[in-house]
Amino acid sequence: MTTIDPRVAGADGGDGADRRVDEVVPARRRRFRLGVPGTIGAVLLGVFVFVALFAPWLAPYAADERPGLPFARPSDEFPLGTDDVGKDLWSLLLLGTRTSMVVGVGTALLAIAFGALVGAVAGLVRGWADTIAMRSVDVVLALPFLPLLIVASTFAGRSVTAQILLIAALTWARPARLVRSAVLEARTRGHVEVAEGMGATRTRLLWRHLSVGTAPILIPLFLRAAMAAILLEASLAFLGLGDPSRASWGTILYWANVRSAFLTDAWRWWVVPPGAAIALLVVSMGLVGVAIEARLNPARREQP
Amino acid sequence: MRATLRRVGTTLTVLALAVALNFVIPRLMPGSPIRALGRGGDPGQLTEAQRNELLDRYGLNDSLWVQFRDYVTGLFRGDLGIALSDGRPVSTHIGETIGWTLLLVGTALVVTTVLGVVLGTLFTTSRRKGADDVGLSTSLALDALPPFWFGMLLILLFGVTLGWLPTFGAQSVFGGGGFLDIAEHLVLPVATLVITGLGQTYLVTRSSLIGVLGSTHLAHARVRGIPERRLRYRHGLRAAALPIHTLVMLEVGWLISGAVVVETVFAYPGLGRLTFDAVQARDYPLLQGAFLLLTVTVIVANLIADLTYPLIDPRTRGSAA
Repeated sequence: MTTIDPRVAGADGGDGADRRVDEVVPARRRRFRLGVPGTIGAVLLGVFVFVALFAPWLAPYAADERPGLPFARPSDEFPLGTDDVGKDLWSLLLLGTRTSMVVGVGTALLAIAFGALVGAVAGLVRGWADTIAMRSVDVVLALPFLPLLIVASTFAGRSVTAQILLIAALTWARPARLVRSAVLEARTRGHVEVAEGMGATRTRLLWRHLSVGTAPILIPLFLRAAMAAILLEASLAFLGLGDPSRASWGTILYWANVRSAFLTDAWRWWVVPPGAAIALLVVSMGLVGVAIEARLNPARREQP
Repeated sequence: MRATLRRVGTTLTVLALAVALNFVIPRLMPGSPIRALGRGGDPGQLTEAQRNELLDRYGLNDSLWVQFRDYVTGLFRGDLGIALSDGRPVSTHIGETIGWTLLLVGTALVVTTVLGVVLGTLFTTSRRKGADDVGLSTSLALDALPPFWFGMLLILLFGVTLGWLPTFGAQSVFGGGGFLDIAEHLVLPVATLVITGLGQTYLVTRSSLIGVLGSTHLAHARVRGIPERRLRYRHGLRAAALPIHTLVMLEVGWLISGAVVVETVFAYPGLGRLTFDAVQARDYPLLQGAFLLLTVTVIVANLIADLTYPLIDPRTRGSAA
């Protein structure tokens, strides 16, 4: 597997949206300011994105294929051995990357879109809409997420779509609160007050003036929502509630736990890789998120 | 006063929502409870009369409204129904398990908070170059560890390889129940929760301290010649304690979620394990009971945190509590 592509893609943050900034600030300096931990995170994340995109072509076998004998040790054919029904663990690991990424990105998109909308409206309109929005946030944050997800996913089904919807229904609250306070803070800035005083409509205020100050915090919030979603999906799958039609890191660990694989030699190739993959993916997002946050606001005064 | 009303309002809403979800969700679940009841044999072999008798006994033939009314009135009497899987009252099941969960989560909460605050203060205020980076990266890494996976690794290392600690249940099957025995069984599950949850406390302590350390009252204290050490802990940490206090209540929700998977890995006989078993068996009343009690635990913790807030922040005295 070549890692050249993701390294390049990861190191400067992905798409070409930053192009225009490049002309103002030299690329060298920008890269330096992501910091060592941030760069490591970006490279790692790039690798995961690459594997997630091309998993079906990289994996030797499909998720429902059983090419080997059960409980096989690692060999040339099966680099990580096979599980209790003879599935190739290496293929499951690669395909699981895609599931984690889909759940993480899908949930984060939904949660951030809804959370940002609620937060922006609450911060703009104030009054009763604000009260309702923030009380709802309080209520959602007071619920125990995983028990609720367990209960809900047993009726909503175990498909990835259902998981994304359910997890997003819980993770929108924190971004909403943070976006609201960012909007409130941005409103006190001079040029926004002037615009408001000159009779700018709320819509214009939001798109023209407030979005400039608020939009950048959406990136770290997006990453944090994705991190939470990935860990929740893994936990659900570990409890046997993963999407049965897909490979998932949590599901691999569920079977490892059910078959007590971690009490035998098999822990080295059956238990360690999927767990390490979850941790590394989440860490890489965390490192990138912290680096971006640090660039946005050196004082980093965030609400808990 | 207004703040107190608001908090009570939120608490009651969460409670009402939990009760409503509790009632609705299990009834939307696919699969008939009869199937779970017929575990011993094929449910298809039941005659229509037998099937009806079973549904009658558990009140599943009544209209939804009647079921809901019975459910809510039952709640006020502490009656959570009867578990479908073994016919014992749900409240008995919960009584047997909730103590273990409270012990597990309570211990983990105390250890996580103390350790997180101490480490957060040490690393953030350290003059040594790179200390902050190391602390930050480490806490991110700990935060990213899936608790169930880390628990498995701990079992492997301390239970299987080294054989130092028990890895199964809350006490020994034979001759268990002594203080030491229970403490021994608590070590690995608590360690799992603490290590995987430490990152959050650390990060909040850190960002709160960074905010306070740059403030004017601290600069003023420094000018007055107050020693750096005293400055750090007396002046800095004290002011930084507010967000940490808020964090503790968020932490309870996180720990409850963590307890579900950790209890499953360690076969710890708490509410989380009960929830999981109930889902496997499609045991509606048991699932309702376990979920409700987990939610109530979080709500009570939040309320305690809210009510003790004025104790550490004099500015809110009079307005809250």
